[in-house]
Amino acid sequence: MERVISSFMGSFLVWAFLVLDLVLKVSGNGEVDALNALKSTLLDPNNVLQSWDATRVNPCTWFHVTCNSDNSVTRVDLGNADLSGQLVSQLGQLSNLQYLELYSNNITGKIPDEIGKLTSLVSLDLYLNKLTGPIPSTLGKLQKLRFLRLNNNALSGGIPMSLTAVSSLQILDLSNNHLTGEIPVNGSFSLFTPISYQNNPGLIPPKNTPSAPRSPPATTSSAELHQTTEFH
Amino acid sequence: MVRSSRIFNDCVIISFLMLITCGMNYGTETDIFCLKSIKNALQDPYNYLASWDFNDKTEGFICKFIGVECWHPDENRVINLILSNMGLKGQFPRAIQNCSSLTGLDLSINKLSRTIPGDISILVPFVTSLDLSSNDFAGEIPQSLANCTYLNILKLDRNQLKGHIPAQLAQLPRLKSFSVANNLLTGRVPNFRPGIVTAKSYANNPGLCGSPLDPCRA
Repeated sequence: MERVISSFMGSFLVWAFLVLDLVLKVSGNGEVDALNALKSTLLDPNNVLQSWDATRVNPCTWFHVTCNSDNSVTRVDLGNADLSGQLVSQLGQLSNLQYLELYSNNITGKIPDEIGKLTSLVSLDLYLNKLTGPIPSTLGKLQKLRFLRLNNNALSGGIPMSLTAVSSLQILDLSNNHLTGEIPVNGSFSLFTPISYQNNPGLIPPKNTPSAPRSPPATTSSAELHQTTEFH
Repeated sequence: MVRSSRIFNDCVIISFLMLITCGMNYGTETDIFCLKSIKNALQDPYNYLASWDFNDKTEGFICKFIGVECWHPDENRVINLILSNMGLKGQFPRAIQNCSSLTGLDLSINKLSRTIPGDISILVPFVTSLDLSSNDFAGEIPQSLANCTYLNILKLDRNQLKGHIPAQLAQLPRLKSFSVANNLLTGRVPNFRPGIVTAKSYANNPGLCGSPLDPCRA
């Protein structure tokens, strides 16, 4: 008798977990939670996030959020919104996100590593903010990324080599930061010129660029180490 | 020289240099001037550039112009100019120099004529992709292209270019693809690294020689 009861309990638990899993999948709550977490760490003096109602089944009716036909978030458009505060790691849960537009705000803190999970991301625009810390090397996993604009922040550290493997990159702007170290020139970075790196005094220009018009091709000399990234 | 006037001279030189380097980096007023001048310089028989309206002065307005791609959608700073297959006539537009952040230029399939400027590396110093194919450009391929250090792609096919291909083009460190088919070129081809050219890159020129083509006669 006890055996029958315990096997019945076991089956019931399995069934209950399956139903719970189904319910959670259908409701898409993870994306509501992710964006709600972002709302909670941002300061929003103009109330642009007023429509962000966490009791909704999905965030697709919220202003500044765009979804696809499966009610999954594809765009977050919050450029020029007077926002301050910080970003959150939960942004990595928006697995179908293609456009993350947070430019021209006053956002501080670091770029979360978890953004590297957004494998559908086409555009990452965090420019004109007050972000600090490094460019996460996890961004090298974004194999559909076309626009990476992180300019005009206070980012430090080096340019991750992993980014050279992002063959889809078309526009890179890292200018006006505190980046240091060598500028990669291989892979996709063959397309990028000093314009992409302006005003990072600690960045070391690659070899093989003339120090002034009509200089012979470089063999390293101490003169080149004095180059700024301003003009080659 | 009197000491004070020497110091004065040094100050003038330093200020001048600072002015130049500052002016080089930021070009939004100049980008508007760049496009306006290009529009004025070229003949546009099919009115493709008629939609370029310079009366609208909102932020980033040139970014919505046909053929114009900007670095940022709300800033008047051009990254790519793609004016392909528009029937445009006239010379290579020197005013492009004012688009100081330009990296991509595609003027292919037009009726542009006269020479490719001999100082092109000063006009478009940061160009990574340059497509001048299918036009009526004449004269020689300028040596100056060898100073366009960031060139990845250089397409000059289907023009009336003559003379030799500058050997120094083989030194371009980032070059991935080069084509001059269908021109009037002669002489030894440059010694490019593997993978940049095939025989097709040189097809239909009267007198080119050297690998991958037939050897040059002494």
